[in-house]
Amino acid sequence: MNSAIPTIADFYRVLPELLWCGFGLLAMFLQPFVRNRHFFTALAFIGALAGMAGSFLSFRNPGAGFYGLIQADAFSFFFHLLVGTVAVLVVLAAGPYLDRERLPFAEFYALLLFATAGMGVLASAQELLTAFIGLEMSSISSYILAGYRRDALKSGESAMKYFLLGSFATAFFLYGIALVYGATGTTRLDMMVDADPSGTLLKLGLSMILIGLGFKVAAAPFQIWTPDVYEGAPTPVTALFSAGPKAAAFALLLRIFATVPAATHFWFWAFWILAVLTMFAGNLGALVQTNIKRLLAYSSIAHAGYILVAFAAVTSMAKGGRAEAAVAYAAVLFYLLSYALVKLGAFTIVSQLGGAGEKNLSLDDYAGLSQRQPIVAAMLSIYLLSLLGLPVTAGFFGKFYIFKAAVNSHLLWLAVLMAINSIIGAYYYLRVIVLMYMREPSAESAAAAPVGFPLTVNVVLAVTAIGTILFGLMPNPVINFILQPTLFGH
Amino acid sequence: MLHGGHLLSVLIFFPAAGALALMMLRGDDHKYIRYIVLIVSAAEFFFSLLMLRYVRVGDTGYRLEEFAHWINQPPINYHLGVDGISIFLVILTTFLTPISVLASWKSIEHRVKEFFVMLLMLEVGGVGVFLSLDLFLFFLFWEVMLIPMALLIGIWGHERRVYAAVKFILYTMAGSIFMLVGIIWLYNATNTFDLPTIQNMLATGLLALSPRTEMLLFLAFFVAFAIKVPLFPLHTWLPDAHVEAPTAGSVMLAGVLLKMGTYGMIRFCLPLFPGASHRAARWVALLAIIGIIYGALVAMVQPNLKKLVAYSSVSHLGFVVLGIFAFHNISMQGAVYQMLAHGVSTGALFLLVGMLYDRRHTFEISEYGGLATPMPKLAAFFLFVALSSLGLPMLNGFVGEYLILLGTYQRHWQWASWAALGVILSACYLLWSYQRVFFGEITKEKNRTLPDASAREKWILITMAVVTLWMGIGSVFITRRTAADSQAVIDQVEPQRPYEAAAPVRPGQQAARVAPGVASADSPERSGTR
Amino acid sequence: MLEYLWIVQLLPLLGSAINGLFGAKWANKTVNWVALGSTGLSFACALEAVREFFESGQVLFRKEFFTWITAGNFRAGFDLQMDQLTVVMVLVVTGVGWLIHIYATGYMAHEGGYYRFFSYLNLFMFFMLILVLAANYLLLFVGWEGVGLCSYLLIGFYFLRKSASDAGKKAFIVNRIGDFGFMLGMFLLFRTFRTLDFTALFQAASNPSWGPESWGQFGTFTVACLLLFMGACGKSAQLPLYVWLPDAMEGPTPVSALIHAATMVTAGVYVVARSHVLFTHSETALVVVAIVGCATAFFAATIGLVQTDIKKVLAYSTVSQLGYMFLACGVGAFSAGIFHLLTHAFFKALLFLAAGSVIHAMGGEQDMRHMGGLSKKIKYTYVTMLIATLAIAGIPPLAGFFSKDAILLSAFQIPGGHPLYALGLLTVLLTSFYMFRLIFLTFHGKPRYDEHKVHVHESPWSMLGPLVALAVLSVIGGWVAAPALWGGPDYFANFLTPVFGSHEGAEVLSEAAAHSFELTLAVVAVVSALLGLANAYWLYLKRPEKAEGLAKSMKGVYTTLLNKYYVDELYVATIVKPLLWISTNVLWKTADVAAIDGAVNGLADGITAVGDRTRHTQSGNTRSYAVWVVIGALVLIAVIFLWPGAGKPVLGWVR
Repeated sequence: MNSAIPTIADFYRVLPELLWCGFGLLAMFLQPFVRNRHFFTALAFIGALAGMAGSFLSFRNPGAGFYGLIQADAFSFFFHLLVGTVAVLVVLAAGPYLDRERLPFAEFYALLLFATAGMGVLASAQELLTAFIGLEMSSISSYILAGYRRDALKSGESAMKYFLLGSFATAFFLYGIALVYGATGTTRLDMMVDADPSGTLLKLGLSMILIGLGFKVAAAPFQIWTPDVYEGAPTPVTALFSAGPKAAAFALLLRIFATVPAATHFWFWAFWILAVLTMFAGNLGALVQTNIKRLLAYSSIAHAGYILVAFAAVTSMAKGGRAEAAVAYAAVLFYLLSYALVKLGAFTIVSQLGGAGEKNLSLDDYAGLSQRQPIVAAMLSIYLLSLLGLPVTAGFFGKFYIFKAAVNSHLLWLAVLMAINSIIGAYYYLRVIVLMYMREPSAESAAAAPVGFPLTVNVVLAVTAIGTILFGLMPNPVINFILQPTLFGH
Repeated sequence: MLHGGHLLSVLIFFPAAGALALMMLRGDDHKYIRYIVLIVSAAEFFFSLLMLRYVRVGDTGYRLEEFAHWINQPPINYHLGVDGISIFLVILTTFLTPISVLASWKSIEHRVKEFFVMLLMLEVGGVGVFLSLDLFLFFLFWEVMLIPMALLIGIWGHERRVYAAVKFILYTMAGSIFMLVGIIWLYNATNTFDLPTIQNMLATGLLALSPRTEMLLFLAFFVAFAIKVPLFPLHTWLPDAHVEAPTAGSVMLAGVLLKMGTYGMIRFCLPLFPGASHRAARWVALLAIIGIIYGALVAMVQPNLKKLVAYSSVSHLGFVVLGIFAFHNISMQGAVYQMLAHGVSTGALFLLVGMLYDRRHTFEISEYGGLATPMPKLAAFFLFVALSSLGLPMLNGFVGEYLILLGTYQRHWQWASWAALGVILSACYLLWSYQRVFFGEITKEKNRTLPDASAREKWILITMAVVTLWMGIGSVFITRRTAADSQAVIDQVEPQRPYEAAAPVRPGQQAARVAPGVASADSPERSGTR
Repeated sequence: MLEYLWIVQLLPLLGSAINGLFGAKWANKTVNWVALGSTGLSFACALEAVREFFESGQVLFRKEFFTWITAGNFRAGFDLQMDQLTVVMVLVVTGVGWLIHIYATGYMAHEGGYYRFFSYLNLFMFFMLILVLAANYLLLFVGWEGVGLCSYLLIGFYFLRKSASDAGKKAFIVNRIGDFGFMLGMFLLFRTFRTLDFTALFQAASNPSWGPESWGQFGTFTVACLLLFMGACGKSAQLPLYVWLPDAMEGPTPVSALIHAATMVTAGVYVVARSHVLFTHSETALVVVAIVGCATAFFAATIGLVQTDIKKVLAYSTVSQLGYMFLACGVGAFSAGIFHLLTHAFFKALLFLAAGSVIHAMGGEQDMRHMGGLSKKIKYTYVTMLIATLAIAGIPPLAGFFSKDAILLSAFQIPGGHPLYALGLLTVLLTSFYMFRLIFLTFHGKPRYDEHKVHVHESPWSMLGPLVALAVLSVIGGWVAAPALWGGPDYFANFLTPVFGSHEGAEVLSEAAAHSFELTLAVVAVVSALLGLANAYWLYLKRPEKAEGLAKSMKGVYTTLLNKYYVDELYVATIVKPLLWISTNVLWKTADVAAIDGAVNGLADGITAVGDRTRHTQSGNTRSYAVWVVIGALVLIAVIFLWPGAGKPVLGWVR
């Protein structure tokens, strides 16, 4: 571990990131020479898949890489696959969108792959500065992607806000790292084991880190940027935001608070409050939305809240036993998976139905959809029901495991509050379903020809929908994998 | 023990397969679709009758059990089984489905395919709920059932259908989400979702919950069930749902969904939380009695015929809950019987109301009057059903009501006495509404020319009438099969029953019997100077 | 036949079913065949069964046909039994029932819904037979409710008339109120004895360890009996539940004769007599029965005095006569009660049928003020009705005299029975007064109707035949008890002894005393009856104007009586209206819609409103967002640092 020269295994352990970056660069180089969008789609598609394939190699070589900067283990493997999948699906979904909006494609895919690489780093980082690099990689590409529709005012505004507030949060994160270093003399999580948990510096530092990441995962009160950014960004990008960076940030958060025993002590109440605030902020906000993108944005805040419940369970001292913690980790992972699939599917549909210039985003545009485009309506219902947490969808198991984690740690009140929130949530998800199935379409929308769904988009929808149902019927493989005791390699 | 193979799985998945096949079908040939659904549901009904061969008189416990591992972390199993109580509820479900299909033969004209798909999914959910022996599986069917029902109301319903649908689904979810928490909590205590296992643990004392925990768990389950039943203060979704739902929806709602609540109480609340059930019993009974009287009184003054029937359900289900929480095997059997009887007779009432609606497109009683002249047959059937619903002996309604009151009286004469008022009131609201709808001179010109029951309607009604009559006379066929298992439930909820003495009791024993506090407050002898 | 006793009941049911299902298309003649055939056959079967019963010489025949309901240790079967009491009832029901069927064929000939009528009528026979043949309380209750249903259907037979359907509904609901008591009574009995079978139950009840319950002691028996009696009050139209019977006259006259005079309304008496074992355990119950019966007898008679509708008079007289029967049971003279039930069945059925014949003759007119002088025109009707009147008035040697005499005697003989006796005697006077008033107003004096419009005509023989038959019975019906007058045995009482044993009041005195006594009492009764007759004669034939004058002079009393003491109005004002008002305004509009549903929807709206507020934090202004983040950060850090010992008991309850 202390050998001066990186071994080949070290490179295997970062292979996914390398591949993603490599293909990203390739896309940029080829941009001047190739004018064919499909070529770049294919390239990015292959690149994303290659990264996923690479993650298998890194999983074959578990352990700390590059002197403990990163850690290749089941946990990172899971997240590599997850963000990889997200990337693949966004690549496929974005193609037609870019055509429709006449946006340059090469850069888009390059940025997308860079962002993915950053997320990958976040997932496997075991050293805070490495994590910071990953965070910046994904963030900066995200900022640009958010403003990718240059001509659209909203898009620019969204990018601006995201950038300002994002860098604000990053600053917090950086300060946090500095303080932690000051307190422990190291930035490697696995070396902080014997730090004094109640040390002011450490607490301050970790709370700063928590704030920084809280911003990324849109936890109240740091969720404030989410609706505007989600609404303004190009919808495929929104899909990416809601699925990828969130997952990666949660991954880092989880790794920190799972591996650093020092940290798992004082944080229960912080997470308790964050969770409750976030759930309510998300659900209450969503109740009154009339724009589907904003509604989904708020819903993603709410879901961040649910995930934070699991964090409260992790850090609760009620039992603190390994088993209970494992259940909570599994809950988070499964939830992120189911959630990513659903959100990708939903946003893809939104981006298709949005039409040129994303005009049709108001809920009323969805009235009577079941009569105009029954299959699309059915798909969207599946996603919404999964978000709502109805059985035989992955979302149900996600919620189920989180409930279980909470109850395991005797956080009954938190469970009850979560239950109340899921009822509030049910209301606005049902509102969309009601619109689609129980209302008659408006005159012009009825007259308009049904929106076409290109092959790639259909693939995305098929994958996400089937995945949602599949993991809702037989979550066994995933659960067995994420419940393994050596999730974090140690 | 005979082997039924995978009969129960067949019962659950056959309608699902039918629904799938239907989805494949092109949606425009309505006649074709209707016949397919009718055949599927009828076949399902006959399959369900096969269960009778395996649920034999006298033997208790779950039969035809099917067990398969489904999810291993946490261990969730596909565990089915049927006993003397659930079998008839399943049969009721499979019986009402073809009836509803026939009832919607003409009245459903748009999006026919979707309608029948929903109806079949509803059947799947109902059968699944009654057959699941795994708490998780039960909850799964319980939740899945919401969507088709809500869509039935929301798409094919009447004016305020959306409001009713959303109200229905939110009300129910509010209850069931807490049940989910309860289920998980129970899992935490037992490390299993398997109902028989948990019951076993309780019996052997492996599982001993603290009173507070037990009560909380009891409430988590009970509230979900009480909303479904619906029990008195939680009933306000029912009138809206019923009024807005299409006829078939109302039939399934009254016949199947409401029973899921009472069934849950019998299957889960009592056996799993006996202590809490005991402590809660008096309050539950209070609500049930309020529900009986309140529902009847409110029904009496409804200007809307369908709302009237809906509120009458509140009253009738109050009887069931009372019978369950009297912890007496007579009243328990009565409750089970009343569930079935109510399913049939109230189902029939909704069918008739629906037929009136098909003719006049209104539920307002004031719009009718004197209908006996243009449609004597329909009037006759309506009277017949109304009589069964107000508990006329030799018709199905009586048996359940009587057994419930009789059993309840054995332990709490005050409860029974109050509840018996419902018997008077049911006569009031049913006969009064019947008079206003069918008797007297015709007041509205429109009604003068209304056609009498068509052949299809006649066959529906004859079927219902025959079943009603049979259940009123041949009740033994059912009670003999429910006896052992409802006794088992009673045994689980309270192992010793001092008030159960076989022989006639002499005054001497009276004192002894009164002693252990069970019959103390409720023996009329004490109300005197003795 | 005894072995197949159920056939007796099944025949009418079949008749009813056949007529009900297919009769619509048939000619009246066919319907007649079915209806009369079934009832006649069942009468024949009943006779045969009775013959076999006496042949076999057993005290009680009992047979279980099939188990109807069973749950836990409760079993109620379709079990029939026959003993002397049953014999009386069965013969009355089938015999009189058959006669009335015959009559109805004539009376209803020109009515619509002919088949419906006979279907209902046969159905009634079926349930009535179940009632009297039942061997346990639950099966009895089946018949009990069933006859209630039929009475509902038949009273509301002319359903186009609101008054008719109202009356039917009223009858059913008031009966239900009684049944409420009856059911609770059954529950209590089962709770105490673990059975509802008559034999087992009575045997257990007669176990000496159950001491008698003296006055004011509310033990099992008292409570149970009073509850059963509540049911009886509903069915037999006793105070305070009598209100439905007068309205029941909305039904066709044969119905009034069969159901509301001869058979159904006497079911209450039958039940009390059937449960005599229980009643004799409880002094309180008996006294209550006696008082209620006596009071009803008098009360109804007073109303009868002034009624002008011929059927209403008869209705109130029925209520009053039923009162007598309960009085008899109350004083322990069950056989006397049943005896009066029997004779009453004869002459009251006759009275109604005759009245029907009168109405028929008058072309539907029921108001006695528009009759008069009919005696010439419809002789048969007149004569038969006169016989019936003499019988009910208690003029010897007609049936009514003996039965009523037996009742009064027993009332006089029980300790403290004199007030009852006095009131009963007074009622005798009133009875004969209003009955003869009816006769005189209807058949004597000047015709008070337009003879050109109304063509009075005698009824066909299908109607007169039953009248004659019943007239004969009304004459001879009481003679079985005649010897008792001059010290001989009371054959009827003896006949019923196997059932009632020696629960008789008559045994109190020595033979000689009893005999002289009986004569005197009988004389007194007759005298008072004659007094009533004389008064009626004087007021309504000699000095009709006096009647007017009397009515004027005592206007208050008169109008009160005319309006039946405003009891109906009282019930409506104190029960019906308030109940409806509360249900509508308090329960439905306030509790349900406003309170509960309001709370639910209010909650939803509230949450949405909060959501609306939260949306306003989204100003869209980046600077304010930054502020939010900072504040949030500070709060979070504050929590982490200042939280009192993170998760220590301070807020431990939250977890």
